[in-house]
Amino acid sequence: MAEVVLSRVRRDFGAVTAVHDLNLAIAEGEFVSLLGPSGCGKTTTLRMLAGLEFPTGGEIRIGGRVVNDVPPAKRDIAMVFQSYALYPHLSVADNIAYPLKKRGVPRAERRPKVERTAELLQLTPLLDRKPRQLSGGQQQRVALGRALVRDPKVFLLDEPLSNLDAKLRIHMRAELVELHQRLGRTMVYVTHDQLEAMTMSDRIAIIDQGRLQQFAPPQEVYHAPANRFVAGFIGTPGMNLIEGTLSQEGGAWCFTAPGLRIAVGQLTDDAQAGPATLGLRPEDVTVGAGPVSGIVRVVEQSGHENIIIVEIAGNERLTLRIPASILPRTGDTVALAPDATHAHVFAAGEAGQRLNTATARPRPQTL
Amino acid sequence: MTTVPQTHLERRYAALGLLLIAPTVLVFCVVIVYPLISAVYLSLFSIFTPTLQGEWVGLSNYQALLSTGEFWTSLGNNVIWTVGTLVLQIVFGVAMALVLHENLWFRALARSLILFPYFVSTVVAVLVWKWLFNDLYGILNHLMIVAGLIEFPLDHLGSMPNAMISVIIVGAWKYFPFVVIAVLARLQTIPEQLYEAARIDGAGPFARFWDITLPQLREVLVVIVLLRAIWDFKEFDLIFLLTGGGPIIGTQTLPLLVYKEAFALNRMGMAAAYAVVMMALMLAFMLIYIRQTRRRES
Amino acid sequence: MRFVRRIFFNLAAWAVVLAVAFPLFWMIVTSVKPQFELFRRPPTFLPDTFTLEHYARLLIDTAFLVYFKNSVILATTTTVIVVAIATLGAYSLVRFRYRGRENLAFLVLFTYLLPSVVLLLPLYLMLVRVGLSNTIASLVVAYTTFALPYALWLLRSFMAGIPEDLESAALVDGASRLGAFWDVILPQLLPGIISTALFTFILSWNEYLYALVLVNSDSARPLTTGVVNMLVSAFNIEWSLLMAASVMMSVPLIVVFAFLQSYLTRGFGAGAVKG
Repeated sequence: MAEVVLSRVRRDFGAVTAVHDLNLAIAEGEFVSLLGPSGCGKTTTLRMLAGLEFPTGGEIRIGGRVVNDVPPAKRDIAMVFQSYALYPHLSVADNIAYPLKKRGVPRAERRPKVERTAELLQLTPLLDRKPRQLSGGQQQRVALGRALVRDPKVFLLDEPLSNLDAKLRIHMRAELVELHQRLGRTMVYVTHDQLEAMTMSDRIAIIDQGRLQQFAPPQEVYHAPANRFVAGFIGTPGMNLIEGTLSQEGGAWCFTAPGLRIAVGQLTDDAQAGPATLGLRPEDVTVGAGPVSGIVRVVEQSGHENIIIVEIAGNERLTLRIPASILPRTGDTVALAPDATHAHVFAAGEAGQRLNTATARPRPQTL
Repeated sequence: MTTVPQTHLERRYAALGLLLIAPTVLVFCVVIVYPLISAVYLSLFSIFTPTLQGEWVGLSNYQALLSTGEFWTSLGNNVIWTVGTLVLQIVFGVAMALVLHENLWFRALARSLILFPYFVSTVVAVLVWKWLFNDLYGILNHLMIVAGLIEFPLDHLGSMPNAMISVIIVGAWKYFPFVVIAVLARLQTIPEQLYEAARIDGAGPFARFWDITLPQLREVLVVIVLLRAIWDFKEFDLIFLLTGGGPIIGTQTLPLLVYKEAFALNRMGMAAAYAVVMMALMLAFMLIYIRQTRRRES
Repeated sequence: MRFVRRIFFNLAAWAVVLAVAFPLFWMIVTSVKPQFELFRRPPTFLPDTFTLEHYARLLIDTAFLVYFKNSVILATTTTVIVVAIATLGAYSLVRFRYRGRENLAFLVLFTYLLPSVVLLLPLYLMLVRVGLSNTIASLVVAYTTFALPYALWLLRSFMAGIPEDLESAALVDGASRLGAFWDVILPQLLPGIISTALFTFILSWNEYLYALVLVNSDSARPLTTGVVNMLVSAFNIEWSLLMAASVMMSVPLIVVFAFLQSYLTRGFGAGAVKG
């Protein structure tokens, strides 16, 4: 049993609250990302899980046991640090062996375990080197090895890929996913990179300013963002957020903004007529024919698709993702058709909650 | 940031932290805090050093001190010595650092030679300089006569203002390496691009020094000046060994006056009063320095 | 043109460097000249007659070796005690959270700047009262007053330079706080400890004022006051002998300079400049 449960966990630094009453239940064997902008409290949360930081309030449970008063050594966790934190004076082999040594594993048993781990991570030829003689990618593997060697209940990973170059990062991403599948252990992964979170996680916990914004699988986070923050944070290019007015006409909800009028389908009981925000993903607007007209301001070609910025009435600018086959020129006037079934509606204001009842797109079917 | 410990674990860590600092605190209390307080207490007594017998005299030591000319003369000497030697140390130290920052032949050797006076014992430094200053056989007088600077041998330590000048020069020689090393360390962190950019903008060597080097050094120079001012002000060994405060009290600074009161004139209470006043005078500089450090750390 | 300027710069710079180093050169030269050569006019820049007689006399006829031994004991004891206490203290100040920690750190800085003459008189009274006066132990106690704040401040800065993640990693890997200190922090701190120990040793080796006041017998006198005593007590000042004593007194320093200079420069950076 290695589920991780945070109940009303809070962390104050003097007058500043880094984490506000966080509730999070991570299931056994799940890969969960804590995602948010820097300084949002995600690393503090992870460090509280590790026992390196102390909650000011609330309760942390690992595998059913309350661990608030348990030192890191006795939590049966392993952690990979952003800086790797390899012991500079120890060889790679000794680095990997250190957790075993500290848990009283006899020397004779340590060696084969270290060798097996090294083999798994292709570190065997490097075992006698010192960390400073390794490349960034190799150091990263040693850090992983040190976490893996002991088979802990929970893995905590603090932005482990952020110091690698882009190509290696993609490679290691895939390797981590594979590793997770093979080990089946609970993993908590802190990142500010949404692509990492989206591609690797079973569920993503999006945190902003110390508060949990949404905790859901990647598809849901993308297609049914819980509020305006999540909507704007997830997706590149970001969702177009348009301020306007919500009104009810003959039982159907309708969103209006200058030059734009959309029937938005079913909304929750919280929906009220008045100011609101409309969210449109760049791919949810078709270009060519439609009721909205705009002038193309910027065209970016990336080969398999084009990204264009179109200015519509009221100086509103929409970023759109269109097929590579359609290539308008800057200054062209184009007609746009927003896909009403994929329009997101949020209550007014920066923290506006999602008002749509349904997920905009059906969950992917299993093959 | 100190938060009130909450978890049992946090309290246990805090307790361990206190345990580790305990020897320090204990030693501090016994050999620093307690003596510091008793120094103030002592200054309220009249104590005869050989017997250590004394009686309460209240603030009269302070009254006497402020009304004696010797205190003011010593304070004046102290300021002259501090300012004089500090200015030489800074000017010469910065210049030397700039030179050593350049691509000098055998730079490492030059650096060692420059550094050495700082680490050599004051006793050694003073003995060597006394020999250099020797009025009959000293090499300094000989060289000055050969160079035509003087006609007759000078009495470097036995007359005024020569004695003060000599003390200031020896002080500068002994302590300027501190400035050199500190400035040199800072110079090495100035990004080369700044100079390249300035060169592209057409700045000459002097303009580059004035517009780039000096502003970059400003902060470290403030620290150095404060620190050296504090240390020079309280200097005892160098002056005491070189001139003993003489001729008469021509180079007698406050630390020497404290020593003289306590162990030559046997007035321990009075000496304590001098020491307390001296510390009060330094307190301003010490607090400025501490505030500076606090600011840089946060 | 550039080349000429470079030569000129180097010559000028080296002239200044040599001028700064001249007193030390002169100390060595004087120490190997026979007595009569000192008074020759004009003086000889390199000795005409090379002699080690002053060194021999220093070691055989004077109490120099006793002073030397005292200084070694004194400086070593002070260094060991101070560095041990300060290492633990610095670890606590940098890596633990408790009430009053910050204020304590600045009390350390304050005492680091405190003039010795203020503490001198009460310490003298205290040490006389507990019957430690005229012993090396009394000097160890007195030297702690400047060496401990100094070592603490230096080590605190070295300690702050060790990434906190290293300790965190050790904790997660199964170590206790003290275990992490021993396994991970101490090996990283070692260069800083060496540097601090060297500075503390040199500081104690060179100290004069406390030695002057607290010790008044040859059996406990360290080199600084011992050598000065030789100057004062001699009817006729023997400069060669004094210079030989000065050279001998600087031997530990020369050893440090020759082999461990990088540690000294590091200590400078940590303690003085960064604050």
